Amino acid sequence: MKEYLLPFFIGAATGVLSAWGVGGGTLLLLCMTLLLGVDQAEAQGINLLYFLPTAAASLWYHRKNGYLDARVLKSAVPSGIVCALLAALASTATDAALLRKPFGLFLLYAGGSMLLQKDKKERHATA
Amino acid sequence: MKSSSEPRNASPPLGGDAAKYRVAGALAGTVNGLFGGGGGIPLLVLLTKWAKLDEKTAFATCVAVILPVCAVSAAVYFLRAGLSLVPAIPYLLGGLLGGFLGGKLFRGVPNVWLRRVFALFLLYGAWRYLT
Repeated sequence: MKEYLLPFFIGAATGVLSAWGVGGGTLLLLCMTLLLGVDQAEAQGINLLYFLPTAAASLWYHRKNGYLDARVLKSAVPSGIVCALLAALASTATDAALLRKPFGLFLLYAGGSMLLQKDKKERHATA
Repeated sequence: MKSSSEPRNASPPLGGDAAKYRVAGALAGTVNGLFGGGGGIPLLVLLTKWAKLDEKTAFATCVAVILPVCAVSAAVYFLRAGLSLVPAIPYLLGGLLGGFLGGKLFRGVPNVWLRRVFALFLLYGAWRYLT
């Protein structure tokens, strides 16, 4: 029983972050590999599956609270699905490792600018 | 004057916001397909900075866009390597609970917290990919 409880509680805790769209899956991956000793490949598989019920559960509330933009969904979901398939096919043909550095730079830039970003209210006050 | 400007406002301009959303979705799918995850990152950045969506709406809508994209990635992964379903079950059940809880709490979370946690996640990813 004990070996099921810890994964359950860790899954629940990181699920809160996943519901907010702020990287719960990555934290789960870290917990699995570093704390629970799950092998990296298995952890990645679990992580992919994990997002499905977790996101679906959160969307029930997001929809109810009016946080979903239907116009975005209508345009972004079809193009996202098509490109996910194409990229998955391409990633076997080409070396995705080449793209790690540019993507890493983008993450650094986006993360840094987001940390430094001020709230709109604050910006008005200083302007 | 009013009658002539109304229909123009009612229908979105060609290649306007819909095109932005389509590009954002395409980029999210591409990143998810190449790296097996992380597609929500360019999506959130584009939806907030480029398409100027309200932040909370952007975070929640990202989750909704990434869900089907992630289902595609999971299916591809499953066909290629096979996914072990049984060990995943306790995590999935926990995720179900956490997802509900997070969805319920989302309204009260200050945007600056969302931004900070997200930024930490990006910087961790940057560290992983650059080193």
